Amino acid sequence: MTWLLVNLETILLAIFAVSALIGGVLVILLRQPMRVAMALISTMIFLGGIYGLLGVHFIAAFQVLIYVGAVMVFMVYVIMLLDPRDPATRHRFSPLVIPGVAIAAVIGGLLIRGVASEGAQAAQAAPARAFSLAEFAAAFLNEYWLHFELTSVLLVAAVIAAIAVIRVNREDHG
Amino acid sequence: MDKTQALLYLALTLFALGLCGVVIRRNLLVMLMSMELMLNGVNLSLVTFANQMGAAEGAVLVFLIFVVATAEIAIAIPIVLLLARRRRTLDADAFVDLRG
Amino acid sequence: MSELVAIALAPLAGFLLNGLLATRLVPRPYGHRFVTLVGCGLPILSFVLTLIAFGELRAGGYAPLSETVYTWIAIDGAPFEIAFWFDRLTAVMALIVTGVGSLIHVYSVGYMKDDEGYARYFAYLNLFLFFMLMLVLGRSLLVLFVGWEGVGLASYLLIGFWFADPEKAAAGKKAFIVNRIGDAGFLLGMFVLYTALGTLDMDRINAAFMATPGPAVSATLVGVLLFIGATGKSAQIPLYVWLPDAMAGPTPVSALIHAATMVTAGVYMVARMSGIYTHAEGASQLIAWVGVLTAFFAATIAVAQTDIKKVLAYSTVSQLGFMFLAAGVGAYGVAVFHLYTHAFFKACLFLGAGSVIHALSGEQDIRKMGGLARKIPITFVTFAIATAAIAGLPPLAGFFSKDEILWFAYASERGGSFWLLAIAALTALMTAFYMFRLLWLTFFGESRLDAHAAAHVHESPLSMTGVLVVLAVLSAIGGFLSIPHVLEPMLPLPGIIAQRSGAHLPIVIMSVALGLAGLLGAWWMFGGRAERAKAFGAKVAGVRRVLEGKYFVDELYDLLIGRPLLWISEHVFLRLGDRTLIDGTLNGLAGLAQRTAGVMGRLQTGHLHFYALLALAGLLGALAWGWHHG
Repeated sequence: MTWLLVNLETILLAIFAVSALIGGVLVILLRQPMRVAMALISTMIFLGGIYGLLGVHFIAAFQVLIYVGAVMVFMVYVIMLLDPRDPATRHRFSPLVIPGVAIAAVIGGLLIRGVASEGAQAAQAAPARAFSLAEFAAAFLNEYWLHFELTSVLLVAAVIAAIAVIRVNREDHG
Repeated sequence: MDKTQALLYLALTLFALGLCGVVIRRNLLVMLMSMELMLNGVNLSLVTFANQMGAAEGAVLVFLIFVVATAEIAIAIPIVLLLARRRRTLDADAFVDLRG
Repeated sequence: MSELVAIALAPLAGFLLNGLLATRLVPRPYGHRFVTLVGCGLPILSFVLTLIAFGELRAGGYAPLSETVYTWIAIDGAPFEIAFWFDRLTAVMALIVTGVGSLIHVYSVGYMKDDEGYARYFAYLNLFLFFMLMLVLGRSLLVLFVGWEGVGLASYLLIGFWFADPEKAAAGKKAFIVNRIGDAGFLLGMFVLYTALGTLDMDRINAAFMATPGPAVSATLVGVLLFIGATGKSAQIPLYVWLPDAMAGPTPVSALIHAATMVTAGVYMVARMSGIYTHAEGASQLIAWVGVLTAFFAATIAVAQTDIKKVLAYSTVSQLGFMFLAAGVGAYGVAVFHLYTHAFFKACLFLGAGSVIHALSGEQDIRKMGGLARKIPITFVTFAIATAAIAGLPPLAGFFSKDEILWFAYASERGGSFWLLAIAALTALMTAFYMFRLLWLTFFGESRLDAHAAAHVHESPLSMTGVLVVLAVLSAIGGFLSIPHVLEPMLPLPGIIAQRSGAHLPIVIMSVALGLAGLLGAWWMFGGRAERAKAFGAKVAGVRRVLEGKYFVDELYDLLIGRPLLWISEHVFLRLGDRTLIDGTLNGLAGLAQRTAGVMGRLQTGHLHFYALLALAGLLGALAWGWHHG
């Protein structure tokens, strides 16, 4: 029992990681888009959990709030809007399945090998150190405040673009 | 295998899975969701590094990625919606107007 | 001392003035006079300046005058200068060139009066004079070569003067191209000399060869190479073929360029380079034999020609052969002497022929002449005097020079031989024969003129007949100025073979006898009625055909050289080189680009998945590359 409690963090981490992985695999395998969305949501929540375990609670909060709460909800709305009898649901995979899987696998392998060869040295480099929300806020508002302001510009641009898209369409059909 | 490495492996795997999904799935919305999966993988790797180095900059970048991903979805989905209304299908192979 | 430059520059100014301004001036009333004044006045000025220079030369005890105009180019510190040189040999040549040249300019005033290219004609003629003067006044082989090429250019322009006629234009081209072939040899000679001696100044080259020990290069090699150029310019075997065709140009041009001055440039060059040739036995032997064989060969052709100018052309080739014979046996001064006398009587003959042609409104075929002696008396008398001079009848000029040549051909220590004498003597006999034949057929006997020509026969104007008289007088008395004696200090005469020294008088008598024999033979054959000539001609019809066809040398050259070159040009250079290789490469590259574009175009399928896959593949490539290069 104590072993469980002592290593709780590692065990939870392992569970969350495996679950996220399974979710990711399901994303690309499931047939119906709604189920795919659910798989993705689950992956994101588990990732949020991992962030929490790593100590960056505010990032975990953001993950769930923004990613799941806004992005995926929007996605689910759209999926619900569209016709399930779409022929796309019958043929899941594009004609380029095999080369796609092969190349993606090779890329993944290369990346992982890259990490593996560096990782051993990096581990000895510096011990892990958590940082607090205060540090995060300070960094944001001191060195990165320009980026912060620019995100608001980006969002305005996104709003205008969305309106423009709808309006053009309205005029077309209108 | 230490924590950092394991998480990095996970992040890279999620990235590769997302990459794969873009190429192999036909449904436009599923392709978009695979792209979200890629972004999540990147986010995870950033957080892992930030955690390992104790640098807040990684978290800042993660936040910015949240914003960008949101904006991207906000525009991409209406576009897909309108396209789907025109062709009455979400099949990516139906949209080959860029041929030649 | 800048009059040396002025001698050469005066005709150049004439060329520029007439060439640039005259086309605008000629339509105006004084335009014609302007052209005449400039075109004739400047050569006469040159002649006067040459006399002044000659006076200076004599006053200075015949020490050569030298003048450097400017440095053309300096390579590695060794300068190539445009420099002029005036010694005895130059004086003789320059006086002939400017003197006879001026006379011919004056003659042209009358001859070309009605031609619409009057200004252009004088411009070209002045240009020729400029280049010829550069040739004789030049100090280095380089300046000589500039003049050499320049006279070739002027010759081309003047032979093809009536360029609208394609035959005449072709004759001009032929002259230039055949000359160029000879010039290749000349250039090689220059290169060898420069490599061996480091200078192209002719006085220095002669000094280097006369010194002991001589330079490291073979004098015979240099001599032969330079002589190849001379065969081109001075119409010896094998490059003489352009000279008969060059008769397509106006007759004064034939007189000036192809009798008196340009074709003698080769003889001048050999005489100037005597330092080399005295030490080049093989080359000298070659020159003597080429000269005598050419003389004989051309004389045989002249016997059967029917165009008045062609007879004179082959006669020129033959006489040049005599000059080279003299040069080949070491008697350079005698060669120049014959050059000098030949300038007078040949110019007189050509200008006389021009006068005849003018009188007959353009007829040149001697079979359609005859009985002109009374109708154009001045022309007849001057022509007769010049004919006697070329036949070697004393006391006319030709007798002295030809006699000297025959003497040295036999008795010179440097290569005189009996065979040279024999062939030369035979040629002299033929020379007399064909020249008197020409005289008889043109001026005596019954008139064979056609009606139009007969109605308009008239003596030429004073500008033409005056010059004829002057030249006839010079042909008569010119021989008394012994040029070999004048040139002796510079070009010493060769020694005489001891056993043959007693043969001088017999040879003199023989040469006179040959001249008279030719005269009598022509009189007998052509003097009476035409049947005797016709009957003889019928007997030797085969030989006659060969001679009339000039031994078919032109056809031979065309077959051996012209056709293969054309074939190579057509098949190798045009079809293979230009069309297949060059066009093929270019078109092939373009085709390749097109085909590649066609293949690449198939990548644009329009399918998103395919594009995404390509992006993945690119990413993979980048990763792999980064992985391998650290």
